[in-house]
Parts: sequence; C-alpha cells; structure tokens
Amino acid sequence: MIDLAFMSEAWGKLLAGVPLTLQLALLATALGGALAVALAAMRVSGIAALDAAARFYVFAFRGSPLLVQIFLIYYGLGQFRAVRLSFLWPFLREPYWCAVLALTLNTAAYASEIIRGGLLSVPRGEIEAARACGMSRSLAFRRIILPLALRQALPAYGNELILMVKATSLASIITLMEITGIAAKLVSDTYRVIEVFVAAGALYLAINFALTRIVMAVEYWLTPHLRPVPVIALDTGDAG
Amino acid sequence: MSGAAGEDAGGVPPPIALRLEDLHKSYGPLEVLKGISLTAREGEVVSVLGASGSGKSTMLRCINLLEVPDSGTITVAGETVRLARNRRGETRPVEPAQVVRLRSRVGMVFQSFNLWSHKTVLENVIEAPIHVQKRPRADCTAEAEALLAKVGIAEKRNHYPAHLSGGQQQRAAIARALAMRPALLLFDEPTSALDPELVGEVLRVMRALADEGRTMLVVTHEMGFAREVSSRVVFLHQGVVEAEGTPDEFFGTRGSERFRRFVAG
Repeated sequence: MIDLAFMSEAWGKLLAGVPLTLQLALLATALGGALAVALAAMRVSGIAALDAAARFYVFAFRGSPLLVQIFLIYYGLGQFRAVRLSFLWPFLREPYWCAVLALTLNTAAYASEIIRGGLLSVPRGEIEAARACGMSRSLAFRRIILPLALRQALPAYGNELILMVKATSLASIITLMEITGIAAKLVSDTYRVIEVFVAAGALYLAINFALTRIVMAVEYWLTPHLRPVPVIALDTGDAG
Repeated sequence: MSGAAGEDAGGVPPPIALRLEDLHKSYGPLEVLKGISLTAREGEVVSVLGASGSGKSTMLRCINLLEVPDSGTITVAGETVRLARNRRGETRPVEPAQVVRLRSRVGMVFQSFNLWSHKTVLENVIEAPIHVQKRPRADCTAEAEALLAKVGIAEKRNHYPAHLSGGQQQRAAIARALAMRPALLLFDEPTSALDPELVGEVLRVMRALADEGRTMLVVTHEMGFAREVSSRVVFLHQGVVEAEGTPDEFFGTRGSERFRRFVAG
C-alpha cells in the first residue's frame, strides 16, 4: 500500500535536494564542456602527441565506472601527501568538489567524442572559405568551425546532459545530500522505499523533461538555416 | 582604368597584379603542375581553360596558398610570398602574417560557393572584413549592402544560404569576396555546379566586374565568357601552359592544335 500523504511529505523534503543536483549537473557540464572542446580539438589537431593524449584520456574516463572514479578522487587522492599539501587540498577534501571533479572529468570524455563528431561534420569547403578569407586557424575555429560543430552536436549533447543529471545521484555515496542522498536517508529513517524512491524518480523525470525542452528550444534558436521555411529578420522589413 | 583589357596601345602598361613563376606541385608521384608561369596586369581578365586534371584548379589554389607549391614564386601586388622547406621537405610559408595579408588581398570564389551555412547572406559578407581586416562593423555593413545590391540579391540579405538558389548563393559568394576589397579575384569554375538556367545570372555579374576593371583570374569551361570577356586566355594541358594569347588568337584559326581539339570536345 502506498501512503500518499507520506509521499507528498517526502516529496517536499526531496525538493530541498534539487538545487544541489542541478548545481552538480550544470557545473560539471559547463566545466566538462570546456574541457571537451579542448580534447576534441586535440583529437582533430593532426598533432600525434596531442591526439594520443586525448585518446588515452577518453579511453580511461569512458572505459571505467563513474563510481570508481568518484571513489578514487574522494578516498584516494587524500592518501598522497603532495595532494594534501597542495593549494588544491581545500577543494579536494570537500565531497562537493570531488563530485564536481569526477563528473566533470567523466562528461568531458563523452562530450569530447560528441564534439569531435560535430567537428568532423563541418563541410571542408566552408573551412576552406574561411582560410581563403585570411582567417587564422584559431579565428576560423572560433567563428566558423566550432559554431557549426556545436550545432551539429547539440542533439547528442542533450542526451549527455540527461545522463549527467542522473549521474549526480552517485554523489550521494560520498555524503552529498542531493535528491538521492536525501531519499536514501528518508528510507533508512522510515523504511518506506516505494514512496520515497518513486517521488525521487519523479523529480529526476521532471528535471529531465524541462531540460529536454530547453535543449530543443536552444536547438531551434541556433539552427534557423536548417528549417525548411525561410525566416526573415523582422527589423529590416524586407519580407519576401 | 576604363576598359577591361589592360593593354592600351602606346600607354605605359598597367602594373603587374599577379606573377607566377615556374610553379611545381606534386601529390605523391603525381605531378600536377610542371612549371607554370603566368602574369596578369591590373585590370586584366585572364581565363584559364583546360581539361580536368590539367592543373587549372591547383594553380588557382596555389595563388592564395590553399595549396602550397613545391617550388616556384608567387607575387601578388608586388609582394612575393616567402616559402621555405621544413625538415620533412615540405614547402611552407615562412611568415603566417604574410599569408593572412595575401589572402585578404585575393578574393576567391569557389565552384561549390562554400558560404557559411550558419550565417545569413549579410553575415557572410561582413564576417571577414570585421574579423580579419578589423574594419568597423557599420562601415562593413553599409559596404556589404551596396555589394549585395550590385550582385542583385539585396532583398536576400537576411536569408541563409540553404534558402537561396545556386545562382543566388554564388552571387552572395562573389559579394563576400568583393567585401575584402581584393586586388585580385580568383574564380574556380564558378558556374560548374549550377543548373544551366542559373549560369547566366552569375556570368552577368562577372562580366560587370570585368567591365569595372577588376583584375580577375577565371578557371572556367564557359567558352562564351572566355571569348567575349577575357583580355587573355591561358590553356593548360597536363600541368604546363600549352598556349596563351588573346581570345581572338585563341578562338581564331591560329590557336593551338590541342586547344582546337579541346574546344571541339
């Protein structure tokens, strides 16, 4: 039997974990996204050493479980004296920053492959036109190649965002009280597994539903050139 | 300068806009350019003809260093590109800044237009003037609007390339090349990717540019254009300049035997 009154009470308590869940997901996605662009650029740089380093990174972080990575960072790094003495220690001894770091490193590996796919999809001719106009490699990358690659990569990146939101639940293992952390505590206090975890699952669903909508809106906004009907800017009044 | 041709009788010949000397280029064992030399004076329109595989496009692409020749010299508007061999024996430009300078003096129009698909026509035209030449946005926009009007697609300025016909895309690409205020315009088979009914609108724009006295190097299969618009015709065959002359010399009876066979198909 499901106790609906208790469930709505649990729901209220779980809501308190939403900000932390969102924070972990967004911070890791933002930092991981930047790292992913760098990794993808290394992969397509044509410089063997950079390519190999990025390949190894992706191999290591995509091929091992996120939970293992979280454990290694949270429990493992502190064993090294050098880490404890370094300026990073104030961060690395906090479970919050360990979770952010693990999620960042993990998503960067997946996202770099998504972005690499986007980079490879940029038509050669458009890159050549940029070079022919006198753009340096970095200018062409910033103005032409990356914008085209990101537009191409966005649908797959949306998928990765959803995976990240769900992956934050693993942070509960290292004491963070995000949605799953609060849920686990509620369950151990009340033994009402179904009510609590159904409510927690529904919260993740709601977050991901909103996220999917946002990604769709961004995709729509960024790709007027892929829509079938010509869209004419309103400010010039030359609708034809 | 008033006319298209740069050889007014009796006057001082106009300065040299482009000089290629002894260009060689190989891809592995395949030697595509076997010592090409060519000069274009300011205001000249030089049509480059030849069968596919004759090296026309490669030669054109060497001029703005989209391909780097193995040897030979390239001089644009009096400035010679400095090339040197690296340790692996590949020829490379010595000074990146010189390459940027060269490319912003040389406008290029591609066979497949190569407009940036995520930018509107206007954004395509103002992109390089703003970000490469660092000119003020307002000036660039005003100039771009004028150029788009000139090529006849002012009303399409806020459209994306995918929403234009091939002919309109190519005219936008011509406007984009002109926006850099180039000293030399390169056309790499500008009408070859177009439906036949759209070829005329692009050729008309090119003819108007020739009439303005623009210096142009045009790789083309359009014999009519080569004959009527160019001041000079260069015929490439297997990586060398097989014949060179005025359109009259070329299309008259004195043309090279190979060229006549080429034209006859």
